[in-house]
Amino acid sequence: MLPPEGPASPADPGPSPASDPELAPPSAAGPRPSLLLASVLVVATCGLVYELITATMASYLLGDSVTQFSLVIGVYLSAMGLGSYLSRFVERELATRFVHVQLIIAVVGGFSAPALFFGFGLLDSIRPLLFAILILVGCCVGLEIPLLMRLMPGEQVLKDLVARVLAFDYIGALLASITFPLLFLPWLGLVRTSLMFGLFNALVALWSARAFWDQLKRPRLILAQGLVVAALCGSGFAFGDRIETLGERSLYDAPVIFSKKTRYQRLTITRWSDDIRLYIDGNLQFSSADEHRYHESLVHPAFAAREQFGDAPAKRVLILGGGDGLAVRELLRYPEIERVDLVDLDPEMTRLFRETPALSALNHGSLADPRVHVHNADAMRWLEEHRSAANSGAGERASWDVIVVDLPDPNNLSLGKLYTRSFYRLVRWALAPDGVAVVQSTSPYLSPRAFWCIVQTLDAADLHPRPYHAHVPSFGDWGYALIARSPLELPGALPTQLPPDERTKLRFLADELVPSLFAFPADQRPPEGLEINRLDTQMLVHYYDRDLASFGPLARRAGS
Amino acid sequence: MGASGESGLSRRSLLAGAGLGLAAGCRQAPREAAGPVAPAFVGQSPERGHLLRSAELLSAPIDARERVAVAIVGGGVSGLCAAWQLRRRGVEDLALFELEDSLGGTARSGALPRSSYPMGAHYLPTPPRELVELHALLEDIGVIVGREHDGRLEFQSTAICAGPLERHFDPETRQWGPGLYPNLGETAAEAEQFERFWAELEALDGRRDAGGRLHFRLPARRSSGALAHLDGQSMADWLDARGYDSWRLRWFVDYACRDDYGCSAEQTSAWAGLHHFLGRGLAQNREGQLLTFPGGNGELVERIAARVALGARQRPGHLVYALDPDKGELRVRDLSTQRSIAVAAERILWAAPRYLLPHVLPRPEHDPLLPDLRAGGFSHAPWLVANVELAEHPGGLGAPLAWDNVPVIADPKARNLGYVVANHGDDRLDAHRPGAVLTYYEPLVDADPREARARLLAGDAAQWGEHVLRSLEAMHPTIRAQVRGLHVHRWGHAMVRPTPGLLFGGVLERARAPLGEGGRVRACATDVGGLPLFEEAFYAATEAADWAAERLG
Repeated sequence: MLPPEGPASPADPGPSPASDPELAPPSAAGPRPSLLLASVLVVATCGLVYELITATMASYLLGDSVTQFSLVIGVYLSAMGLGSYLSRFVERELATRFVHVQLIIAVVGGFSAPALFFGFGLLDSIRPLLFAILILVGCCVGLEIPLLMRLMPGEQVLKDLVARVLAFDYIGALLASITFPLLFLPWLGLVRTSLMFGLFNALVALWSARAFWDQLKRPRLILAQGLVVAALCGSGFAFGDRIETLGERSLYDAPVIFSKKTRYQRLTITRWSDDIRLYIDGNLQFSSADEHRYHESLVHPAFAAREQFGDAPAKRVLILGGGDGLAVRELLRYPEIERVDLVDLDPEMTRLFRETPALSALNHGSLADPRVHVHNADAMRWLEEHRSAANSGAGERASWDVIVVDLPDPNNLSLGKLYTRSFYRLVRWALAPDGVAVVQSTSPYLSPRAFWCIVQTLDAADLHPRPYHAHVPSFGDWGYALIARSPLELPGALPTQLPPDERTKLRFLADELVPSLFAFPADQRPPEGLEINRLDTQMLVHYYDRDLASFGPLARRAGS
Repeated sequence: MGASGESGLSRRSLLAGAGLGLAAGCRQAPREAAGPVAPAFVGQSPERGHLLRSAELLSAPIDARERVAVAIVGGGVSGLCAAWQLRRRGVEDLALFELEDSLGGTARSGALPRSSYPMGAHYLPTPPRELVELHALLEDIGVIVGREHDGRLEFQSTAICAGPLERHFDPETRQWGPGLYPNLGETAAEAEQFERFWAELEALDGRRDAGGRLHFRLPARRSSGALAHLDGQSMADWLDARGYDSWRLRWFVDYACRDDYGCSAEQTSAWAGLHHFLGRGLAQNREGQLLTFPGGNGELVERIAARVALGARQRPGHLVYALDPDKGELRVRDLSTQRSIAVAAERILWAAPRYLLPHVLPRPEHDPLLPDLRAGGFSHAPWLVANVELAEHPGGLGAPLAWDNVPVIADPKARNLGYVVANHGDDRLDAHRPGAVLTYYEPLVDADPREARARLLAGDAAQWGEHVLRSLEAMHPTIRAQVRGLHVHRWGHAMVRPTPGLLFGGVLERARAPLGEGGRVRACATDVGGLPLFEEAFYAATEAADWAAERLG
């Protein structure tokens, strides 16, 4: 796309134009028309690519793709019309204006995708930014074709000029509309595509600066501006891997609509049609298509099992992990619950799921419920501090009726600590004598040694585990364990405390399904010779790694 | 002071070897040595201890007189445990004098921006069942949080050292291997030796005499004594006598001796060498764990001090420069105000290193231990410890970063114990912060500890900092660029050396014997137990505290 006689690459500005004959100003006749038409092709392609990028981002971030695409196309085309109209007020310095317009498109269009990604994480609403970008780029793109036509050498007759320029304009649009979905989006991702086309605009600006050198006012300053913009877009493209969204692209099955490296982890949200998925450090945490299966199975059996110890309803619930608020959504179906303490490491995570409309719609605004108290802390330390305070008489002896342990899979040593016997002893300490807890225990199918290691570790912590599992399509066969301070009978139905109107809202669990969760087929019996997971041996992380390595790409929850 | 580990066979002799060569080598490149930060001495000041040698103090007039039931000299683990036990027994009229400005002795903590760190002692194995008295202490300071239904102790989860615990570095392949025993390339004969060695330990583990006393236990003096003859030979001799010539096994055992006792296998009593493995029961047999904190045993010290809550009775920055055992009088110099105080005490617990006692006695020749001290039969090992703050966690090929990371160095003169990661126990909140603090340990095991001590004190901070960096570079060649801070700690008399004959040769009876008319003074620091371990300090101190409490008027 770079005109053959174009200036040196942005990374290497080369010698100054005055001293280099190659870069000397062209004759007053201006560039050849064929080169000008080539630049029409490039700017037209760029223009449509930005439109597609914005429309794609809008549908990822805001959902409802028909509306988003219609709005974006309409606003963009009318902005182009506005730009074309405004071109009549440009009377002098045509070449200079054209170069500047190119540079503005290069910056605003080129950085549109990264700006929207970061904006989504930082702004309350992404719409103002999105439409500002759309209108600015549309206006500039609308300006550039009329300006270019007026810059064409004078001997061409109008009918030829219009025919050629517009033909190349539309061919450019065709090129963009074919290559964007088939080539650039899959291979480069949104951010790098947008930066690459920004670079093309900058190169056209540089080329036209050279072509119209003697028509420019302060040509060297303009050349310098062009080089800076080209360098910005080029380095943005080259270091695009460093921007999380880019390098991750290949990891995920669907477009990444949000990615942020918080202090503690990398949060990534993808969206494909209506399926929103959350990944932590590349590991799938939920898919909105089937998370109800996971979370209903996580929460309700514990309440059902608890009823065998008496009729007193659960009032205090503790969730360790679960910063997405989805388990809280299930908890809040029980009207007697007075207080939910949620301990999640990452304040960004809980903020995201409380404040982002598309995400809080998933958890029904559970994190904003006044009964929910969020504590951003390491679960082990938080519990240990409670125990130490209670033991030393400095704090009250708190206990919870139901504890939900919904932590990420033990794929590293610092997470592995939260599956150790010591940790489960802390959970046991925090559990009321008639309380029941449930532990997310990885997949008994994909990581059987890890699953049964967790069950055995719970047993060693004197918690009488009752393992069970449910089918969650996006995870596969998923495992849990109910635990309590005294031996548990299996629950036979949904909890009676679940009000009838909430019962009908469940989409997965039903009375007759509850007992079936606790049955394991012959190929899922516990393996022999497993060690329990102790803090000083961390066997679980080892089992989990080995299990997943043997499954490879099937182990989707583990990401890569 | 690390856990245990070893590796060997580097043909390269690091510069550590002989003192003069080292000092000269360092002097040639002092700037490079410093790296981005200037190393600094932190912690115990040798100058303060050496004030004892000044005659001026003795002639200074007495500015004040005090009377107290029990005076404790020394604010390390032993002194604080003595105070803890006295208060438990209802003895409130006591005073504790500590030379340094902060308590803790060799268990003190320091801090760099990324993490607090230990200046010396840094872990305590979970005590076995028979140490019920120690359980009471740990329960009182919140390390033991309860008991399980089968009576098993439950420890504070944040105090348990998390895996991976150990790895060793093989300089030949430049790979890290898991654990401490260097088994990469082990021959069948070597494997057989290791198995035989381990089988011998298994056979001795938990064995008792006819009276039911364990052959190896803590404190050492409660052991049966049936194997006392092993104290007459060195650990190296014991290995020789059994035909253990595998360099791997010998490195492993030598590492254990250096790590616990600051002595090479040649210098360590065979009984003590075996006690390292068996004194708490073989760890693998009793499911033992390690208790540790970022600040090492400084955390234990702080918790004990907080429980004891001595307030004004705790007197840091006080030098005890004279002790009259017959009158029960101490002469104490308040180093901040330069006032001299005479303290009359019914009982005096000498919880400072035992070798210091004759320096403050009016007639040192009346100290029954003096001949042993002069003959070198009761000696202390000097240690170099350093804390290094790094911008990134250290890596390496092979086994992942562990708590204790030990190079297997062939040349016995060039050996160091590697490093322990002070912030290894980071929870998830901290684990994501970049950077680490490494605690480097190296006992100076010269044949004569006095020469090693002179060598240690002769070097300046830049020289010892460079020495530490070069030792770390042998494991991590690019580590120098990562260094953000370097604190060097010199311990001239870090720990008692359990040399052959110390434990069962009568020396310790002389070290512990009450001094003065009617026995007003009793020594109770770690060293009178013969093994430089927290448990020895605890038992020496609490027994002495009981002794003092029973004799108060």
